[in-house]
Amino acid sequence: MNIGEAGRTAAREIRVHKIRSLLSFSAISVGAASLLYTLAQTRGMQESVRKNLKLMGPGALTISAKEHYTSRGLSKGLTGADADAIRAEMPELYMVSPTARDWNARPRFAGKPLDGANALGVTPEWRRRNWVYRLRGRFLNETDVRETARVCLVVEPGGWFKKPFWAAFWSHVNGFDALVTRRDMLGRHLELGGHDFLVVGTLKLPPRDLDPRLEKWGNPSIIVPLTSYHAFLAGDQRQQTAVDKIQVDTGDEKTLGAVRHRIEQLLSQRHRGEKDFEVKSDLQDLEDMIREQNKDVAVALALGIVALLSGGIGILNVTLAAVYSRMREIGIRRALGAERADVLALFIAEAALLGLAGGAAGVALGAVGIEKLAKAAGNEVVELAWFHAAGMVALSAATAAAFAAYPAWLASRMDPIEAMREER
Amino acid sequence: MSEALVVCENLKRSYGDYAALKGVSFSIARGEFAAVMGPSGCGKSTLLALLGLLDRPTGGRYVLDGVDASSLPDSELTRLRRERIGFVFQAYNLLPRLTALENVALPMAYAGVSPDERRARALRLLARVGLEAKSGRTPLELSGGERQRVGIARSLANSPAVLLADEPTGNLDSKSSAEVMAFLKELHAEGMTVLLVTHDPAIGAAAQRVLRLKDGLLA
Repeated sequence: MNIGEAGRTAAREIRVHKIRSLLSFSAISVGAASLLYTLAQTRGMQESVRKNLKLMGPGALTISAKEHYTSRGLSKGLTGADADAIRAEMPELYMVSPTARDWNARPRFAGKPLDGANALGVTPEWRRRNWVYRLRGRFLNETDVRETARVCLVVEPGGWFKKPFWAAFWSHVNGFDALVTRRDMLGRHLELGGHDFLVVGTLKLPPRDLDPRLEKWGNPSIIVPLTSYHAFLAGDQRQQTAVDKIQVDTGDEKTLGAVRHRIEQLLSQRHRGEKDFEVKSDLQDLEDMIREQNKDVAVALALGIVALLSGGIGILNVTLAAVYSRMREIGIRRALGAERADVLALFIAEAALLGLAGGAAGVALGAVGIEKLAKAAGNEVVELAWFHAAGMVALSAATAAAFAAYPAWLASRMDPIEAMREER
Repeated sequence: MSEALVVCENLKRSYGDYAALKGVSFSIARGEFAAVMGPSGCGKSTLLALLGLLDRPTGGRYVLDGVDASSLPDSELTRLRRERIGFVFQAYNLLPRLTALENVALPMAYAGVSPDERRARALRLLARVGLEAKSGRTPLELSGGERQRVGIARSLANSPAVLLADEPTGNLDSKSSAEVMAFLKELHAEGMTVLLVTHDPAIGAAAQRVLRLKDGLLA
């Protein structure tokens, strides 16, 4: 078999039949780009899950007050005291962090009200997990909590590392964010619930597109000690002890089940049998999220494969047409000593070359598209390794060659006499 | 009589119920110039296809250069065809997108000759048929006579044992016909075995021996 002759002829045929070649080339390149995008998405997802697990901790549990629960009057609801009880019962836990939030804090600065801020009451342990901030000044400490100190931290928005195009259409900045972005708040005073709070620290969020957390919404604006929250920001008496959540980290995935069971027992006792709370594993949440995302990836993958296969079918069609339009040539080549394998190679080489070029173009298209599309979708942007690109090009060439195999085989089986009689 | 290059014994070829060749026996000596003549439909083309190893007989035996070709597998037939047979076709059968040089070099590519050697040999062959200056032209840029000369040069590419010429002057004017015949005679004079198929008595007269076919049998 003469591979060189097959390659040269293939290149010449591609050059001569530009439209035909362009069709095959485009079909394959779109397929390759789609598949590559899916690959990037999958990798991005895996990467973000990995980072999240690291941030979240493997043994994360969230205890939250059940929504729409009507109390029978036996339980006080989820309170800071529950968190203390958990801590006392299980001192080995890495983190027990109760939080209470006022979504509409309405702080005032220099006498002016600011919209768009929420206040979060926390204990110092809050910072042990999901910490993505850059701290200036200091964080809250045990003394702040013990002394119900009127101190707070403000959270500055991170903006974008590379702003996606859609962000330009959604440019509303609330009063609070505008203030903390413009002005250094460290050491200044904010009025919260009619009381004066000293800003002891600022927390800068990472740029939104580089934030590794899966849940990027719901960032706090102002962070205060939980005790101060209860004393100065909470409304009625019930709210003056209530917490929305208690986040627990066992520090180890293995102990998750046991700890969860003990917490449920302890809280059931404390709440006198009222099921006004629920305990969820964050890992479980993440797994649910992954399962949802996996469905999307499966759909995208199927689309990518369909696109590549359509490209292959395009190649099949074009090769079939080429075989019939070159019957006489096939006969002549066979008469001059070409073996069946030479004829086979002639058509497979042409398809593989187109597949190779289409694959390369698809990779280029995909690489550009991935960055744009992934950002538009708010996904993690992942650099693809060279072997992904090389693999995709090889897969495109292989798909094209595989689909050209049947028509090429037909060509190789042609009777040279019959083929030479063909008038074209 | 010198050694037989082509030996056919009771060679038959049928297509279903129709017998195109009904048992033909003859031999051609090395260095002989023979012509097969007969009216159209007498089985000339069928015989040439069998002799050129492009088709298989349905009966009888065909020995080419000492090799019994009747029962060889396809790959062996291809190899034998490539190494021992040169074809000259009535319709030239040049590949239209290749230059004269590339057309002449093509059989050598399949014989595994190196690109440099192919080019050098193809140029020599084109020089031999007087077309060295037109080696870069495609068949469409050549006259009928020139195309057939390229065809002859190509048939000699792998130094075959026998030249099979199927109505080589059928598409040519008288001047070009004379030129082509002169070439074939010259090759024969140098020792080449030539088997010519024609229906033109004037062309057949150039051969040393004429085999007359009629209704699938030698007359």
